[in-house]
Amino acid sequence: MHTEEFLKAVTALPGLTGNEGQVAEYIAAAFRPFCDEVRIDKLNNVIAHKRGQGPKVMFCAHLDEIGLMVVKIEEDGCLRMGNVGGVDPRILPGMRVKVYGKQTLFGVIGAKAPHLLSKEESEKNYKREDLYIDLGLPTQRVRELVQIGDLVTLEARFAALQNGRYATKTADDRACVAILYRAMQLLNDMKHKADVYFVATCQEEIGSYGAGMTGHSVDPDFGVALDVCHAVTPGAPKIRTHQLDSLVASQGPYLHPMLRAKLMEVAKLHNIQVQTAIVPRATSTDADGLSVQRGGIPTILLELPLKYMHTTVELLDMHTLEEGARLLAHFAAAVDESWEEALWI
Amino acid sequence: MDLKQLTALHGPSGNEGAVRKAIVQAAGPLCDEVKIDRAGNVICFKKGSNPDTPGVLFSAHMDEVGFIIAGHTEDGLLQFRPIGGIDPRAVVSKWVLVGDSLIPGVIGAMAIHLQTAADRQKVLDYEQLYIDIGAKDQKEAEKLCPLGSYAVFDTPYTPFGEGFVCAKALDDRVGCYNLLRLLAGSYQSDLTCCFVSQEEVGLRGSRGAAFHRQPAVAIILEGTAANDLGDVEPRFHVCQAGKGVAISFMDHASIANRELFRQMITLAEAADIPHQIKQGVTGGNDAGSFQTTGEGAKTIVLSVPCRYIHSGASVCKLSDVDAQLALAQEYLSNL
Repeated sequence: MHTEEFLKAVTALPGLTGNEGQVAEYIAAAFRPFCDEVRIDKLNNVIAHKRGQGPKVMFCAHLDEIGLMVVKIEEDGCLRMGNVGGVDPRILPGMRVKVYGKQTLFGVIGAKAPHLLSKEESEKNYKREDLYIDLGLPTQRVRELVQIGDLVTLEARFAALQNGRYATKTADDRACVAILYRAMQLLNDMKHKADVYFVATCQEEIGSYGAGMTGHSVDPDFGVALDVCHAVTPGAPKIRTHQLDSLVASQGPYLHPMLRAKLMEVAKLHNIQVQTAIVPRATSTDADGLSVQRGGIPTILLELPLKYMHTTVELLDMHTLEEGARLLAHFAAAVDESWEEALWI
Repeated sequence: MDLKQLTALHGPSGNEGAVRKAIVQAAGPLCDEVKIDRAGNVICFKKGSNPDTPGVLFSAHMDEVGFIIAGHTEDGLLQFRPIGGIDPRAVVSKWVLVGDSLIPGVIGAMAIHLQTAADRQKVLDYEQLYIDIGAKDQKEAEKLCPLGSYAVFDTPYTPFGEGFVCAKALDDRVGCYNLLRLLAGSYQSDLTCCFVSQEEVGLRGSRGAAFHRQPAVAIILEGTAANDLGDVEPRFHVCQAGKGVAISFMDHASIANRELFRQMITLAEAADIPHQIKQGVTGGNDAGSFQTTGEGAKTIVLSVPCRYIHSGASVCKLSDVDAQLALAQEYLSNL
């Protein structure tokens, strides 16, 4: 399967944090032809293994996604919603959704009409609590099919834009799962000493839990977390955004300096552009959960710039994604026992 | 042509060409005469079997709300303005198609992680919203989507719930759909169906149609706002989806002819056609043009209740669309 095809399919699947079964199955099946062993653990982490005799390295990207949850059914049959992860309420009015009740139901998020708002109300954004999901069903039918706690995903569309750029739901972080998918294919045609694990982790959006669990079970010598970062967007602070057309490797106390230097060396050797981001504290990615397992796992963070993060139109550059796969494969091939000695001196 | 096909056509006000062409093709075999007037309206005429009955004119608008490209940024984003009344709060994170070659784009906004507390409160107005087509720079954006290019919401037609549908442009392709269905029938009286341009930007096309046709009676088939869900007090519902065709007594652009108003209610009751009286005087439509152009005309508006009417995801119930047609047919057969 071509990388675009994988990205389109994998971003369309539902996999809200804590309920990643369906997308985990899909990813495991896609990884299987390229790995020696693939398993799904009890909390829906996908752990794929490509055997090698050398040091154990783990690459991870999270497969869970943000979304909504039904918190109340109103008298008129409308559903009120709560957050699963940080959905920006500004994207919700007019959003089309799927509600996973006893059946999968289509719904539209409605808001009080603009002409009914007071002047004060009309100068502010709608709050999530004021919005509702319209299922086009009588209340009695809604109560039969839906209950509080049912999950809601936002509309999945895959827009192919100019210059190999794509806008889709859940590019955060399945675009990085696609990097894993492509990197394992590239690695098939390369020699590598490293014992390589490609892991698609669960429950990142509520705190890097899947990376922690799999860091424990895989017990790697080195870790590379892959996640998305912010690309340049109007109004956004420059210091926190990067160009869409090349990768980002963050630098800061949570990330291992020697391992990062190795990554940059590999990138330079293979003529892969990498920007530097400075993260003074927690990275809010799987690197945080992974790096503290098993008494400490030297971990770095490789990022794919994304515009409009946590919306349904997350925009990425496919060339950058491909470069991410190339870098990861070359990095896997470069991993060497000697690195262990050089970790802290 | 069905409602799905009609809503899939793109016709923001002032750029109704695709809709006009499709309607001319669809209406041609159904009418004695189809012509395009100087205001861009499609006027269809069908001779009745009995010259002693009075003729009647029906009108619906072809145009829809949309956007127009008004600038380009250095990094290749498109600045745009709304065509018609689109709440800027309903456009963030939505899909659009730009220009005649329908270039896909998205309306993004700064990620929630980067927003300040003030950003979260503040409504992003059209000055701070951009369409992103993936262009690398200003030059590429200008070449692909020059100034004045139109854009529309890209929303699939989606049936859902019990007989509901979600689509763009239900306002007023529901009316266009029913005019085409009306034209498929045979009547005693002469029938004129006007598919008019530029309703959403000031009831402009209909003035031309009214001037040329000078009808005695003009019946407007529309979509109107239904605010019947959520936290809206019942007195502000205007009308309710699923409760039938909404008959207006007055709105911001016209006052219904009392005789027609009463007649429509009587006809609907007698024929058991689901109907409701539109509550309140919100909105305004082409009835205003017909009522006040030239010597004027007696007008009445029959509407399909539409939720989220000027968003990219408007919703109506198909039984209400059928009720609008049924009442129009009932009126025609009782002339």
